[in-house]
Amino acid sequence: MLNLRPEEDKELKEILTNIAEESKSKIVLLIDKSGQLISRSESPAFSSDDVTFASLTAGNVAASEALSKLLGDKSLNHMFTETEDEGIYMIVVAEKYILVSIFDKYATNLGIIRVKIKKYYDKLEGLMKRIEERAEKESSMPADINIEDIDLDTLFE
Amino acid sequence: MPFVNFATREINCKIVYYGPGLSGKTTNIKWIYDHIKPENRGEMITLATETERTLFFDFVPIEVSNVKGFKVRFHLYTTPGQIIYQASRKLILKGVDGIVFVADSQEERHDANLDTLDDMIENLKDYEIDIEDIPLVFQYNKRDLPNVLPVEVLRKDLNRWSRPDYEAIASKGIGVLETFKEITKQVLRKLKR
Repeated sequence: MLNLRPEEDKELKEILTNIAEESKSKIVLLIDKSGQLISRSESPAFSSDDVTFASLTAGNVAASEALSKLLGDKSLNHMFTETEDEGIYMIVVAEKYILVSIFDKYATNLGIIRVKIKKYYDKLEGLMKRIEERAEKESSMPADINIEDIDLDTLFE
Repeated sequence: MPFVNFATREINCKIVYYGPGLSGKTTNIKWIYDHIKPENRGEMITLATETERTLFFDFVPIEVSNVKGFKVRFHLYTTPGQIIYQASRKLILKGVDGIVFVADSQEERHDANLDTLDDMIENLKDYEIDIEDIPLVFQYNKRDLPNVLPVEVLRKDLNRWSRPDYEAIASKGIGVLETFKEITKQVLRKLKR
């Protein structure tokens, strides 16, 4: 089970924010392949629902990986989606995570995005491996949470 | 794989509704989406064909705030039921924390229930998940239709692990909430261990 300590979250956010600022991305997100959002850069420009975005991105990458295997390739490293005004670049990190940059095509370009991600890739990969190793050794459920505290009845109208 | 962020104080879990084609998986999460308070839900995503059969998956995020200062988020997914989408079903099981198996109670769909359960067990094996270990709930849906099998038969053939099970008419919301509450309870209990 993966968990993130506040100091690790800060370190992670710093890397993602550096990539976003240096590449002039609107936002940079780190997602795990099961569709959960791990972290995001400190970027105000992204207006969509990032939880939903994470789920769709993981689905998209999973489908593309399956396509790549059908073509006889071992795996998928990165992919690029283009909308009218924006580019969405996704790269697989440490085989389990997806780094996503959403950028305005008129403010920057794919080449710059890739160069800046490359600059921070090893650092990001190293950090995620360090977090995984630490998380494996300890229980991650907050000690003070009791499942009896969660009242699902109040969620419904 | 559950994900806990102590900085943002969030706990995330993935729950997958699995079952044969037209058994009512999408109806279950659509009912939940329609009846949950808007402040507790995110956007519902449906990737469906023109005939409204699920093509890739449906997705609803549900948030429970203020659990000792934490926000617990359940990501609900459904798989496409039709046989041809085997690959998609496997992809959606990646990182799953709990499964609701939605069976179609009609006699003529029982073979499809059994085939889909086998397919699920195989897919879990590929992710090195033992069905004995994962939170699991069975739902026998469509109890209002003629020609349904007795619950005892469904229970004996499908629920071989004696997990909690519920009778349901998902289109009317009967049994939907009970199923959802049971799976979330199991997922959280496992997380605590």
